[in-house]
Amino acid sequence: MHQLKQYWVAEALEKDLGDPTQPESVMSFKSVMELDEREEFPEKDVEWLYNWNLHHYHIPVEYGGELKSYEEFVAFVRVLSRRDLTTSITFSTLFWSGLVWMAGTHEQKQKLAKFIKDKHGAMCLAYSERAHGSDLVASDVQATKVPGGYLLNGEKWPINRATISGISVVLAKTDDSGGARSLSLFVVDKSEIDPAGYSNLPKIKTLGIRGSDMSGIRFDNCFVPEEMRLGQEGAGLELGLKGFHLTRTLCAAFSLGSADTALRTVLKFSLGRKLYGKTVFDIPHPRTTLVDAFLDILVCDCVTIAGARSFHVAPEQSSVSSIFVKYFVPVTVEKLVQNLSVILGARFYLREGHDEGIFQKVVRDNAIISVFDGSTVVNLHALILQLRQMAKYRAKRNAATYEGLRSRLETRFSLEAPLPPCERAKFELFSRGCDDVLQGLEISLEHLYDLKTDSSVDAEVLQKLITLTSAVLEELDAQDEFLASSGFEFGHDQSPELFELAKKYCTLHAAAACVHMWIYNRKVLGDFFAKGEWLAICLNRLLMTFRPSSGIIPSIYIENVAQELLKLDRENKMFSIVPLQLAQAPSPEEKTHAASELQLQA
Amino acid sequence: MQLQNSSSKPSEDLSKNNLQDENMIVENSPAEAIQSWLVTKLSKQLSLNAKTIDVREPLTRYGLDSIDAVTLVGDLEDWLGCELPSTLLWDYPTIEKSAEYLVKEFDVSAAVSSVASSNVKDASDDKTEKVEASSKSSGWGGLWNRISGS
Ligand SMILES: Cc1cc2nc3c(=O)[nH]c(=O)nc-3n(C[C@H](O)[C@H](O)[C@H](O)COP(=O)(O)OP(=O)(O)OC[C@H]3O[C@@H](n4cnc5c(N)ncnc54)[C@H](O)[C@@H]3O)c2cc1C
Repeated sequence: MHQLKQYWVAEALEKDLGDPTQPESVMSFKSVMELDEREEFPEKDVEWLYNWNLHHYHIPVEYGGELKSYEEFVAFVRVLSRRDLTTSITFSTLFWSGLVWMAGTHEQKQKLAKFIKDKHGAMCLAYSERAHGSDLVASDVQATKVPGGYLLNGEKWPINRATISGISVVLAKTDDSGGARSLSLFVVDKSEIDPAGYSNLPKIKTLGIRGSDMSGIRFDNCFVPEEMRLGQEGAGLELGLKGFHLTRTLCAAFSLGSADTALRTVLKFSLGRKLYGKTVFDIPHPRTTLVDAFLDILVCDCVTIAGARSFHVAPEQSSVSSIFVKYFVPVTVEKLVQNLSVILGARFYLREGHDEGIFQKVVRDNAIISVFDGSTVVNLHALILQLRQMAKYRAKRNAATYEGLRSRLETRFSLEAPLPPCERAKFELFSRGCDDVLQGLEISLEHLYDLKTDSSVDAEVLQKLITLTSAVLEELDAQDEFLASSGFEFGHDQSPELFELAKKYCTLHAAAACVHMWIYNRKVLGDFFAKGEWLAICLNRLLMTFRPSSGIIPSIYIENVAQELLKLDRENKMFSIVPLQLAQAPSPEEKTHAASELQLQA
Repeated sequence: MQLQNSSSKPSEDLSKNNLQDENMIVENSPAEAIQSWLVTKLSKQLSLNAKTIDVREPLTRYGLDSIDAVTLVGDLEDWLGCELPSTLLWDYPTIEKSAEYLVKEFDVSAAVSSVASSNVKDASDDKTEKVEASSKSSGWGGLWNRISGS
């Protein structure tokens, strides 16, 4: 077992699911490809997960579940997602229970916990409409007040799991005059409303996650009792947006699972295929692409784990911490998958062959992550509106702010530090200018200088880390100075240049997250992590997006990363800063044994 | 534009105190100071003529969308020096109502009087706002040359 307890659930789940390349495993590549070809809902796999009690990890401990930490949560979703995004995304509509844990009454929470636990229940989130996706306030679905409740009218589409779920969380208009308080949320339990009042829309054909229940729901004068309203009337938009803070961060786990499979399967191919008398892995371009993919995963890990832990440490910063994750991770992984497809050559396009054709499924399935739960542009837009506040706040930091920052950074990044429970009621629509990760960069830089006297750290690596971290800080200072002296506009007509600025901010944020992660976990995550060469390369790569290459990285660092990649693959460990043990394929003897047992049973 | 404090001076013609010339504003009460702060802010940031802003109209009428309204609360906090509910302008969706609420629920006198005595000018003391005023037409323009110079 991993020495970090929060990774035990993921490891146990991984072990019980089995090696996905073995056809007899649960959710093996073979079986998920067959389901996908038939566009069939993964009913058996979902039921297997319920029987494994994975749904308990969606219910907070106070309500009889096992949900203690979002870091743990992200780790097990990643383990699921590396096998199949269809099942993972389907099962994970349980994320939306987060809205009830955040804003429900005691009764609503108890009821939902029972529904999930005892009835193996699931929900869907019904926000989008044909005419309105990102623009939530424009929703047309109406909830008209009548004695004892509301009459729902209208249609939500396209909604994942709209048909095959017992509860629809519906955003509807309760005030015709429009505006931010015109919407309310309803947790509509289908078993408690008149079936004549709603209908499910037909399955929608999609590019990826083909077996999922993509459909919609329509209400016609459907009476829903008052007890199904979540929070106050008019609280719909506020809760809806805060709910996204949670799920946007958790979406990164889908991406990271995809990245692991994409890299593993392409690495396997490149080690096995011979060209010009050597393996594809030995040709410099593919080798670099594979190493870069691994490095990208390490950066995404730092961003995601920090984001997940921030719910416990700085819930009032959820509006920005979730953007950093939801922008950076899906976009980075999409690019990584695209780069890897080059190595697979023609095979990337085949729906069979190498590892059952799982790679092309990853390409298709993964493409939706940056779109749902708030698309890339929507996230960047929300960041643009908060950038100036963050720059102002950063300029005003003082001794007292630093003290708070120091202690929050340590709890957020030190993976051995226990996490306090997540106080969802503290989520805020804007962070009041706070962003611990970038605002605490000087603290980690200070730590780096202090390490000069530490003999366990290679002096050359340290010097490079100091140079690169200082460069990140310079970029941030220049950007902040610009922000502080520029005009600001509200609205949706932000310039494309501003979107580039927001992307740069996210990149600097990722760099800072990596530096903090290294500082606070040097002694916890193994020798490769501790040495810090990977960190130097990652910082250099991140900076390269807006600075020309400085030639600061010796090729031996890159070679050492390549060796680590091969080692993790050989030992069958996750490509991650927390390389947990993956399920092992049964040995040949175990296999024969299992086969004879099966024969005996038959 | 309307600057009157609805309860005390409903009929007095304050329209000559419009924000055409900010330096002319004479503040009569904290609520009025807040109102004119908001009017100034909106007129600049949404490129509107201050005269056309009616403090009793919902802010959304002027193109302020829900998320912008949340961000604007951040600026108000900076000015007033106190923490406000992030949904303030959702719950009190007109300038008049939000100003009234702020005066009632928060101790805004310090910020308001210091600004009032040095005239409202622009709600904020830092250079940000001045540049904002002068560079309004270009907004954040020119940014690209300045930051991606490397
Ligand atoms: C597989 C799948 C699963 C889904 N699951 C769900 C679900 O479970 N529940 C649910 O409610 N919905 C779901 N959706 C819907 C999804 O959330 C919406 O498609 C998404 O919100 C985008 O809306 P839209 O496609 O209508 O694009 P629009 O909102 O119409 O946007 C169109 C384009 O306008 C631009 N744009 C929009 N906003 C901005 C902005 N702020 N700044 C700059 N540019 C902007 C962008 O280029 C954008 O792509 C799902 C969709 C798919 C495909």
